Formats: sequence, structure tokens, C-alpha cells
Amino acid sequence: MSLDRREFLVGLGGIATALAVRGVGAQQQPNTANMQQDAYRAVFLPAKAGATPQLDNLQRDALEKQLKCQCTCVLDVYTCRTTDFSCGVSPAMHRDVIRLVSGGYNADEIKQAFVDVYGEVALTAPVKEGFNYVGYFAPSIVLATGGIILTMMLRRWSLNAKVSAPVAAGLANSVPAGTTDAELERLQRALREEEL
Amino acid sequence: MTLVGELSLWIALLMGVWAVTLSFAGGWMRREDLIISGERGLYATAGFVGLASVGLWTALITSDFSVKYVASYTSANLPTIYKISAFWGGQAGSMLFWCLILAGYGAAATFTNRSKNRALMPWVTGTNAAVLLFFVAATVIASNPFERLEWIPPDGRGLNPQLQNPAMAIHPPMLYLGYVATSIPFGFAIAALITRRLDAEWLGAVRRWALISWVFLTLGITLGMWWAYIELGWGGYWMWDPVENASLLPWLTGTAFLHSIMIQEKRGMLRKWNVVLVVGTFLLSILGTFITRSGIIQSVHSFAQSNIGAWFAWFLVLAIGVTVWLVSIRLKDLESKAELEAMISREAAFLYNNLVLVGIAFSVLWGTLFPILSEAVRGTKITVGESFFNAVNVPLGLLLLALTGIGPLIAWRRASVANIQRQFAFPAFLGLLVGAVLFVLGIRKLSPLMAWGLSGFVTGTILQEFYKGIGARMRMHGENVLFAFVNLVARNRRRYGGYIVHAGIVILFAAFAGMAFKQEHDVTFADGDTFKTKDPFGREWTFTSEGISRFKALNRDVVAVSLRPTVDGVVQPVLTSEKRQHFDTRGNPTFQEATEVGIMSFARQDVYLVLAGTVGDRAEVRINFNPLVAWVWIGGILMAVGGLIVMWPQEERQRQGGYRTELQPQHAEAATV
Repeated sequence: MSLDRREFLVGLGGIATALAVRGVGAQQQPNTANMQQDAYRAVFLPAKAGATPQLDNLQRDALEKQLKCQCTCVLDVYTCRTTDFSCGVSPAMHRDVIRLVSGGYNADEIKQAFVDVYGEVALTAPVKEGFNYVGYFAPSIVLATGGIILTMMLRRWSLNAKVSAPVAAGLANSVPAGTTDAELERLQRALREEEL
Repeated sequence: MTLVGELSLWIALLMGVWAVTLSFAGGWMRREDLIISGERGLYATAGFVGLASVGLWTALITSDFSVKYVASYTSANLPTIYKISAFWGGQAGSMLFWCLILAGYGAAATFTNRSKNRALMPWVTGTNAAVLLFFVAATVIASNPFERLEWIPPDGRGLNPQLQNPAMAIHPPMLYLGYVATSIPFGFAIAALITRRLDAEWLGAVRRWALISWVFLTLGITLGMWWAYIELGWGGYWMWDPVENASLLPWLTGTAFLHSIMIQEKRGMLRKWNVVLVVGTFLLSILGTFITRSGIIQSVHSFAQSNIGAWFAWFLVLAIGVTVWLVSIRLKDLESKAELEAMISREAAFLYNNLVLVGIAFSVLWGTLFPILSEAVRGTKITVGESFFNAVNVPLGLLLLALTGIGPLIAWRRASVANIQRQFAFPAFLGLLVGAVLFVLGIRKLSPLMAWGLSGFVTGTILQEFYKGIGARMRMHGENVLFAFVNLVARNRRRYGGYIVHAGIVILFAAFAGMAFKQEHDVTFADGDTFKTKDPFGREWTFTSEGISRFKALNRDVVAVSLRPTVDGVVQPVLTSEKRQHFDTRGNPTFQEATEVGIMSFARQDVYLVLAGTVGDRAEVRINFNPLVAWVWIGGILMAVGGLIVMWPQEERQRQGGYRTELQPQHAEAATV
């Protein structure tokens, strides 16, 4: 028993240290409350031969909603540039988007160009590939697993009730086994009227 | 007064040590004198924390710029209301504010339970005092709001303009009141685990605290959405920012607890699960605080960088470790009767409701922390934004909305087929009718269509429950509709207050769905220019520029654009949006420009004007039509009102009879008749 506790405490200390180190690391990050106006980096590709724009203005705006402004405001490029003139990053990113659209690039190519320069952080949502699938599917898997486990537990509990019902039948505060639907209905009515 | 404040904080630290030591020692040795001394220690700690708070408020109001915090978050020309609210505008002050609320709650919990739950109370007091001690220690040592500057600046830096808003004056206190209240149920859970008194006794004591937390979190989140909507100027109210998510997490698990507690009260089941939910809700509150204050995750709400994050990380680990250890040694005591008479019962519906609520909490937490995980695993930074959260949570939200309507329709223990058919008929009809009408009217987007259809279904459930209850009262007591309604709610506040909360949920979801039809227009206006468009309801709007104005106000330079709207030819009030550049008493600009949006609010939609900027005499604006937004605030307030009704004290004899009514055999009933 004492060994278990010691192991437990050692493990606890290890986790604490890891988290604390993580926390100390975080202190060294720049203040995220202030916008980083120097975060802009040019995204440039040569125009395609005989380039014609692949996107109209609405499609371009939709694309900009998938690109994250890099000034740490956590808004997408479109929202940031159209609601905040004090940000210099999103208008610059917007100009890059316009240039790439004029150069004949489609939405996927433009997104990839931004990813090549800024990394995946340029996108407002992770690309659906590789490890990112864990991000997308983990909630569904956990919920589905939880649902299966819960359903199995409910089934087991309802079986338990059927087994022990004869014992409980004589006890107060319980519904006797073999109660008919009509009797249950009367019980519900009686309970409701008691509440009133 | 500043010195008194700082000294008080140090004395509070010592008093906290006293309260923790004596309470735990008293509980361990079962010595009443030590227990009482520990309780008094907690009251004294609360008193000194209160005095420290008065000290900081005095420094803020009198602009004592020798105090670093005052110089950092206020300026001499800041309106008094914002000098007061600057108390929670920065890291150190908000830590003291947390201490103040925690001290008040801890003292109140100890005082109100002084003559009951005596076996639990030393441990409750000790745990609450320990949590308070942590916060006081972190405040004094790592984030002291009374820290002095080596020289006294002529003026302070001022308060961030985005915090100079009435909503921001009350939104953080509401959230803190909600967050901090989760620590009291945590104290009771720890006490119950230590004393092995894990029956319904401790749950009865924590239920009201859980409700207090829930009501304040509901108000805090709603006010936060309102603040984001009117202040941040991006046209929405929820962007799945990590700090927003952090406030949602304890709300979700707290909601799950308020449902599952009913199963333990009525059936003696779910002991382990309820402990997990109570502790989990508290830990999520602390995790939220860690996220906000450590700078570990990028957020518009983050406090300035500080070394407080490590404190919270350690505290989280310690709290998790203690709880896991206590639960592990009390597993046998937490065993409860695991019997369910039927798969189709209200108990089962509540458990699925718990699953969905906790599932949403998990997905929100997962999405919030996934960038860290991704960076740790792949070394690549990513962003998890709105599209991810919506993709995962919209279906879960719809499922939750459906369960909100299903749960009350199913009987406790076992529902008969006839009962289900009768109970579901009207709500299902109303839901289908709403969906069909909207489909015929041209709504084709699946999510809003489902949200409104399900809203119709849940509304049907609520109306049916009230109709039956009111009808029965009218028959039994001869009351008119109004009196029957009031007495029905007053007589069974838990049940009908809960339905009012559900009505708030319905309104909220219906309003959320409205934003799927949001329209945005980016327009450039010179003086006298006109812009015509149609709103989502097909009405024609004309906006005419009345020009740009530039003027000085109290502590800011203002550039404003005014538009005169007409709708279907009917002139509306002028809509104005501003860019504000704040300055200090010497006229130096402070902070970046801030936007003040113009909002014209109707029941159907908001017309939302944002001045993006000006170029010469031309104004770049965004005009949004945001459908149903006003209903978000109404839904949030209605939920809080419902929560208050549920929470309001009620005489024991008036409470729901539940299963105390025994089923009479048919022949016995016949004999009675």
C-alpha cells in the first residue's frame, strides 16, 4: 500500500513538473493581448501564364475567412481587415490574396501558398490530414464510446432491477414488479396532483 | 490605505494558514474548540481580504499612481465607474477580486452550515480555506496588486478602451461569482470523501451552491457575449475564443450535475459520477483561470504575461491528485444501487443528457487544447477556429436541444407505451409543424431548420407541462389562469423553474440559428452617398451618409460616421459608429484605436454598423443584418431567471413528493373510491 502511494506521489510530481515547465515556457511568450504588427510576411507566387482570376469577390471573401490574421487578434483576414483599420497585417495579407487571385491561382493553391510561408497557423482550422484527424474525430469517438458504454450500463442496470424486483416489491417508495401500464398512469397522475 | 491594504493581505495569508490547520486538525481530532477556531480563522481571513480590497479600491479611486497596478490600469481622467471596475481589469487586481469572492463565499458557506452538517463542516471549512489560502498566497507572492513603483508617474497608462464599457464593468464579476462558487461544492465533495458520508446529505448542501454558480455563469457568459457584440466590432457574439470556451466548460459540467443530482436524490444512484462532476466543474474553473492567465494559449482576452500560470498548473495537479487519491480509497463507499426499471425512463434520458453535456465539454476542451497537443506531437502550430468548433458542436447542440424536450416527457422509473404516445403527440406535432412551415417559406439550410423544428418540439413540451399543471390547479383550487400559473411555479419551483430555464435554452438556440442568415455589406460612403440593399426578410433598406464628424470627448478623440436608414421608405433613427483614440491627461494617445459600433435592434434582427476607418472624407463601413440577436440576450436572462426560481428557498413540506407516494393496488383504490 505504501509503495503504491509513493508511486502515486512520484507520478504526481512528474506531471506537476511537466505542467509547471510548460507554464514557465508560456511566460516567455510575447504578450498575446498586444497585436503583433510585424507578423506579416509576403506570400508571393509568379502569375500563371495567361492568368485569369479563378475566384470572384464573394469567393475571395470566403477564402479570406479561412485564413487567419497573423496579428494575434484571432480573427480571420476578412473580418479583421473590414472591421479594424488599426491592424496592418490583415490588409497586407488581403493584398497578397488579391495578387494571387489575379495570378490565376485557385482557393486551394492560395491556401497552400499561405501555409508554405506561415505554416498551418495561417489557416483558421487544421488541414484534414495526418495527426489532425485525431483532432477532428476524437470528440466523436469519445462520445460514441461513451454512448455505447452508457447504453450497456443502462441495460445491465435494467436487468439488475428485474432480478431484484421481487425483493423490492414489498418495500415502500418503489414500484412493484408486474405493475401494469394503467397502474403506472394512475401513479403519474397521483404524483402530479400531489405536487400541485 | 494602500499600506493597510497590503498589510491586510499578508495578515489574511497568515489567517488562512490558521484556518486550514485548525479546521483540518479539529476534524481529525474531533475537537470542537479547534473546529470553531478554524471557522473563526476563515471569517478573519475573509475580513482581511475585504480590507485589502478596500485598500486597492481606495488607491484606484484616488489615483495613487505610486501603486504599479493603479498606474498600469487607470489614468486621472478615467471615469470613476471604470476606476472601480479596473479592480478586475488587470492580472493582480483580478486575483485579489477572486480572493474577495472566495472569502465571502467560504465565510457564507461556513456560517449558513454552522448548525448543520457538523461532521462535514471542519473539512469543508478546511478545504475552502485551503483554496483561499492558495489564491491569497499567489496574489501576495506572484501577483501583488500593491506593488510600488520606484517613482510616481504624473499619470497612469489608462484602462484598455475595450474594457471601458458598462458590460465589462459587470461581466467579469458575474463570471467570477460563477467560477468561484464551484469551489464550495468542491469543498463539500472533499469533506464527504474524507468523512465517508457520501449519501445524499452532502448533495443537499451543495445543490444551492451549484445553482448559484450556474446562475452567475449563465449571466456572465451572456454579458460576455453582449460585450463582445457591442465592443469588439466584428459582428458576432461568440468566436470560440479559448477564454470564452473556458467559461463554457464549467457551465456545461455544472448543468450536467444539476440534472444528475436528481437521480441520486430520487434513486440513490450515480454517487461516483456526481463526485466526478462536482470536482470536474471546479477543476475546469481553475483550468479556465490557468488558460486566461498563463499565456499558454493565444486569446484576445489573455492577461499580460506573468508568472502566475505555474502556480495554477501546480494547484491543478495537486487538486487532481488529492481528488483521485480520495476517490480511489473511497470507491467502496461510492458504490450505489445500480438498478433501472426500464431503458425508457427519465433517468435514462437524464443520463444521455449528461453524456451529451459532458461530450460537448470534452469537444470544447479538446478543441481549445488541441493546438498545444499538435505542437507537442508534430512541432507544428495550428489554429483551431470557429469552423472546427461549429462542425463538432452544432450536431451535439441539436442533440442536446432534442433531449431538453424529450426528458420531461418521459416518466420517472418506467414509461408506458401509452404514456409516451400521449406525451409526445403535441410536442412532436408542433416541432414538425414549425419545420414544415419554415420549409415551405423557403428555409433550406439544414442546421437552422433542425434547430427551429426542435425548438418547436421543446416549446411544445414546455407548453404541455404548463398547460397540464395550470389546468389541474384550476380544476382543483378554482384559480384563474394567472394565479394558477404563479402558484404552480411557486409550489414546485424546481420543476417549473427548470422549464423556464428550458424555455430560455429554446430561445437561445433559435437565436443562434438566426445567425446562419446573417448578411454583411462592405460599403464606402462619401457625404450624401446612398446604399440600397435587402435584408434577410426581404425588406428594402436605404442608407444615406450624413458625413464624418471629428470631435473630442471626455478622454478621447472621436471620428464618427452617421447613416440615415430607411426601411421600405420609412425613415429610421440615425445610426452612428465611432473610432475612438483615447489619451491621457497630457494628451498622449493610450492604446490602439477602438471601435464603437452602431446598433439598431429589432425583434427580427439587428442592423449593425461598424466604422472600419476613414480615408479623407470617405468612410469605410460594414453594415450587417444580424437576425434574431436580441433573443440571445432574452434567452440568457430567462435562463438566469429560471435558475433563480429553482434556487429560491422553499419549505421542505412544499417540495416535490417524488416517490413518497406509494402506488396503491387497483383493488385498494377501488375500495377507497
